[in-house]
Amino acid sequence: MAIRFEKVSHIYSDGTPYRYVALSDVDLELKEGKMTAIIGQTGSGKSTLVQHLNALLLPTAGKLTVLDKVIEAGGEHKGLKELRGKVGLVFQFPEYQLFEETVLKDIAFGPKNFGVSEQDALKQAKEAMKMVGLGKEYEERSPLELSGGQKRRVAIAGILAMDPKVLVLDEPTAGLDPAGTKSMMELFRKLNREYGKTVLIVTHDMEQVFGYCDEVVVIENGRVRTHETVREFFRDSSACKAMGVLPPDVITLKEMLIAKGFQVPEDVMDTDTLAKVIAKQVKHHG
Amino acid sequence: MGNFTLGRYIPLDSPIHRMDPRAKISAMLVVLIAIFFPAGWIGYGIIFAVVASVIVTARLSFRYILRSMKPMMFMMVFLLVINSLVMKTGTPLFTLGSFTLYSDAILQTLYIVVRLLLMIMITTCLTATTKPLDMTLGIEDLLKPFEKIHVPSHEIAMLISIALRFIPDLIDETNRIIKAQESRGVDLKEGKFSERIMAILSLVVPLFVSAFQRAEDLANAMEARGYAPGEKRTRYKVLKMETRDHLLLAGAFLLLGTMIWLAYFR
Ligand SMILES: Nc1ncnc2c1ncn2[C@@H]1O[C@H](COP(=O)(O)OP(=O)(O)O)[C@@H](O)[C@H]1O
Ligand SMILES: [Mg+2]
Repeated sequence: MAIRFEKVSHIYSDGTPYRYVALSDVDLELKEGKMTAIIGQTGSGKSTLVQHLNALLLPTAGKLTVLDKVIEAGGEHKGLKELRGKVGLVFQFPEYQLFEETVLKDIAFGPKNFGVSEQDALKQAKEAMKMVGLGKEYEERSPLELSGGQKRRVAIAGILAMDPKVLVLDEPTAGLDPAGTKSMMELFRKLNREYGKTVLIVTHDMEQVFGYCDEVVVIENGRVRTHETVREFFRDSSACKAMGVLPPDVITLKEMLIAKGFQVPEDVMDTDTLAKVIAKQVKHHG
Repeated sequence: MGNFTLGRYIPLDSPIHRMDPRAKISAMLVVLIAIFFPAGWIGYGIIFAVVASVIVTARLSFRYILRSMKPMMFMMVFLLVINSLVMKTGTPLFTLGSFTLYSDAILQTLYIVVRLLLMIMITTCLTATTKPLDMTLGIEDLLKPFEKIHVPSHEIAMLISIALRFIPDLIDETNRIIKAQESRGVDLKEGKFSERIMAILSLVVPLFVSAFQRAEDLANAMEARGYAPGEKRTRYKVLKMETRDHLLLAGAFLLLGTMIWLAYFR
C-alpha cells in the first residue's frame, strides 16, 4: 500500500477568524503503481490533499501513511525531508519556483539538496531534460527568459531529476497548449507504465482522466465522494453530469447511439470497438 | 509566516468597525503620542484600560493580539540582556561573580515592553477594524490640507493602498514558494552556511520575479482603465463624521491631556 489516509482532517488558520476546514475525515487508499486522477471543483480541497503526501501540510486530525512513513496529527515528525525525496510534488503553476542562473543548474538543484553529488545531479538533470523534451540547447539558458510552457517543463524536470517513487502533479497542464498537454500526459503515462512510478494527477479535464488514468478520486467540500476505477466512473455520463463537467467524447457518442436504438455493450469504451459494433449492426440492417 | 496576524483586517461587525477611518486614524496617532509621556504606571494603567475596552468593543480577542507580539519576543529578550549589562542604577537585586543585576534594568525593560505592547494593541485596534480601502480614503483626506505645500496626497494614498493590498498576496506567495522549494529538498531550518544561502536565494529570486510581474500587471490594468495620476477624480464612497466619531476623538485628546497632566503637573 503506497498511500493511506485515515480520518485525516486539515484546518487552515485554526483559532483565528480565518479558520477554514479544508479537509474533513478523509479516508483514502492508493495502491502502488497506479495512475490516479483527483478531480473536484475549485476550492474543494484537492491541493490541500496532495500537499499532505510529502508532508508540506500536516494533518490537524487523523493519520496518514505514505510509503513507510506514518504521520499522525500532533505527533513529532522527523525524516520529512527524506519523504520529500521519495514523493515528488509538482505545484500548480510551478514555473514560479525557478531561480537558478541556468536551466541545467535549476533542475539539478533538487537532487543536490538530497545529497546527490554535483556530477550525478547534473547527469540526472540532463536525463530529466530529455524526458520532458527539452533539447540540449536549453541547458545554459536562463530559466527566467523562457516561455510559460518551457518553464513548466523545466519545473517538472526539476522534480523528475530527484527520481521520486511517487509523482504528484497539481494541475500540471493548466494553461498549456493542446500539443504540450498531450506530450505531458504521455510523459506521465510513460513514467507510470515503464518506470513503475505511482502517479497522482489533479486535473479538470475528463479526457485526461479517461484516456490516461486507472482510478478516479472525486473530492467534494473537503471529503472523498467517490473512489473507483476509471471504467466504473465512466460507465455512463451520470457521474460527470452530477459534477457539472463535460464527459469524454466517446461516452457522449456511445449514449447518443444508444438513444438512437443501437445495442452497445456496457464495457465498450473506445472508438475502435464502438465503430466495429456500429458497423456490424448497420450491416445487419442493410 | 502562516500565523502572520500583525496589521491584518478582521472582518467583523462592531461599532468600532463602523467608525469613520479619519477619526480612527487621528485618535490612534493621538493615543500613540500619549504613550510617550512619562506618566508612570498609573498612566499606562489608564491607557491599557481604555485600549482594552476598545478591543472588547471591537470584538477582537486578546489571544490574537498577543500572538502578533510573538515575533518581538526575541527583541525583548535582547533588550533585557543589554539593559542588565549596562544599567547600574536602582537597588541591586543579586550578584553573580562580578555581575550585579540592578532593579532599574528590569524596570526599564518592563517600561519598553509595556509601551510596545500598548503600541501594538493600539495599532491593531485600527488595522483590524478598518478595511484597507477605507484606511486609504482616510489617509488621503487627512493629507488634503498638506496639498498646499505640494504633498501629493492622492498619490501617497494610492501608494499605501497598493502596498496594503499586496501584503497578504506577497505573504501567500512567499508561503507558496517556500512549499515549492521544500518539495525540492530545501531545508530552511538546518544545513550548512552555504546551503542556507542557497535556500534563501531560492526564495528571494522567485519572490522578486513574481512581485515585479504583479506590479507590471497592475500598472497595465490601471492604465487600461484610464487611470492617470494627478487627474481630478470623484469618489464612490464619501466619508462622513458622526457623533460617535467626534466622541472618539474627544476621548483620545482627553487621554492625551490626562497623560500630560500626570507627567508634568501633578
Ligand atoms: N493557506 C491557506 N489558508 C487558508 N485557507 C486556505 C489556504 N489554502 C487554501 N485554503 C482554502 O482551502 C480551500 C481548499 O483549497 P485548495 O485545496 O487549494 O482547493 P483546490 O485545489 O481543490 O482548488 C479553499 O477554500 C481555500 O480558500
Ligand atoms: Mg488547487
